[in-house]
Amino acid sequence: MPVDFTLIVVLVIALALVFDFTNGFHDTANAMATPIATGAMRPKVAVGLAAVLNLVGAFLSTEVAKTVSGGIIREGDGGVQITPEIIFAGLIGAIVWNLITWLRGLPSSSSHALFGGLIGAAIIGIGFQSVDYTVVVAKVILPALIAPLTVGVVAFIATRLAYFITRRDTGRADGRGGFRYAQIFSSSLVALSHGTNDAQKTMGVITLTLIAGGVQSVGSGPQLWVIVVCALAIAIGTYTGGWRIIHTMGRGLTDVKPAQGFAAETSTAATILASSHLGFALSTTQVASGSVIGSGLGRRGATVRWGMAGQIALGWVLTLPASAIMGAFAAGFALLGPVGIVIDLILGSLVVVLLFRRAQRSRISHDNLHDIDDAGRVVKIRKTPRKIARRDRKKVAL
Amino acid sequence: MIDWAAFVVVAGASLLGSVVVVSLYSLGLRLLTSAGRALVVDPQSFTGAITILTPKRAAKEARRARKTASANPLTVGQKRLALVGAYACFVLCVGAVLYGVYLIVPALHR
Repeated sequence: MPVDFTLIVVLVIALALVFDFTNGFHDTANAMATPIATGAMRPKVAVGLAAVLNLVGAFLSTEVAKTVSGGIIREGDGGVQITPEIIFAGLIGAIVWNLITWLRGLPSSSSHALFGGLIGAAIIGIGFQSVDYTVVVAKVILPALIAPLTVGVVAFIATRLAYFITRRDTGRADGRGGFRYAQIFSSSLVALSHGTNDAQKTMGVITLTLIAGGVQSVGSGPQLWVIVVCALAIAIGTYTGGWRIIHTMGRGLTDVKPAQGFAAETSTAATILASSHLGFALSTTQVASGSVIGSGLGRRGATVRWGMAGQIALGWVLTLPASAIMGAFAAGFALLGPVGIVIDLILGSLVVVLLFRRAQRSRISHDNLHDIDDAGRVVKIRKTPRKIARRDRKKVAL
Repeated sequence: MIDWAAFVVVAGASLLGSVVVVSLYSLGLRLLTSAGRALVVDPQSFTGAITILTPKRAAKEARRARKTASANPLTVGQKRLALVGAYACFVLCVGAVLYGVYLIVPALHR
């Protein structure tokens, strides 16, 4: 029945765009929390800028989209037949898990939820051989482990450098306030890089659906209209999510100094941009958290709160398998045919509505800032009074 | 296949990019301070934001900046040189960022 077929493809595309929207909604904080916290930008400007740059970023590169659409699941000749129903189930799993973690205040990654959901759905729907595990390890799991560590080290070095170069020899002005201006640009770069990596994931899923539905040839990249709608969805999500940040900002963020924030954001942006270029589907949240921790450690008197770090790591490890289970459940229903799809939709929307109603009740305690904020709290900064010897004050800076 | 070289490229590129951008900007700030033009961010220009920098602290920093400027042992020529150096650093920093973005956009290479 061609009518049914088009309906399911349209349904999957709509669901993918909802996922894209929640992704932008969830991740505005990554880019814009630090400049708002250090007073570098007015929140309205920051959020608007983040939305526009996400839009632009989505157009810059399509490598990550190709990883998602052409690598993880073996589709086409010689592989297995992936159906739009499976992708549908995977998306339901990802969205539900994303909302659960968001509500419970668990750190998680939208990207890993997406991959977990798809993998779980494919395993139940088709079988273990349907997933190309080498690609999953090479382009999803290993980058997930390596990227936060790398970016942490990079941010540590960058922070040390920033403080070293602008060190105060004389007890007089060091000009570090000027890093506030720099943050306007560095956080913009983070927003741009978010567009190059996260918007791509949804493009990849829609492309995969079109390939599965036989509308597009196997191995081709995303079409222009797909790029445009994904870019728009993530930009609107970013803008909407930003308003939440502004409203919950009173809670206060981790103590981030302008120099530190600038170093952290530069490292985050550089890492995400380089990864996007090579088609690694990173979790932007994890990279941002890694760099906040690394840059915190680069400050004087920093110590790690290991318990907190462990909690965050646990949340990250859990995401992929947990969303895979969600996706598998949804796929189990989807296999029943049209009735199953309807059951999935009803169950999915029921969970979403329920979670949103609970979120309404506890809006202040569970907001979307928690990921980066928790990462910031991993590092404890000892307040040490700077003692500058009298004779040093005579010397003058250069 | 796991492409380890690609990981090294990503790590190297992000380290290089961050170090270059952060160093250039920091050096620019330092030279600006040496030139007696330390940047003091006026909290008035960030009215909508959470004021981390209180007016009191801003005034203190402005006083500090003036003090540095008045006690600056550099000659007028040296100060001018430092200022030119500072602007050069900022320009190079922006250039480095634009070059980095240029590198990753395939559409610009065709």
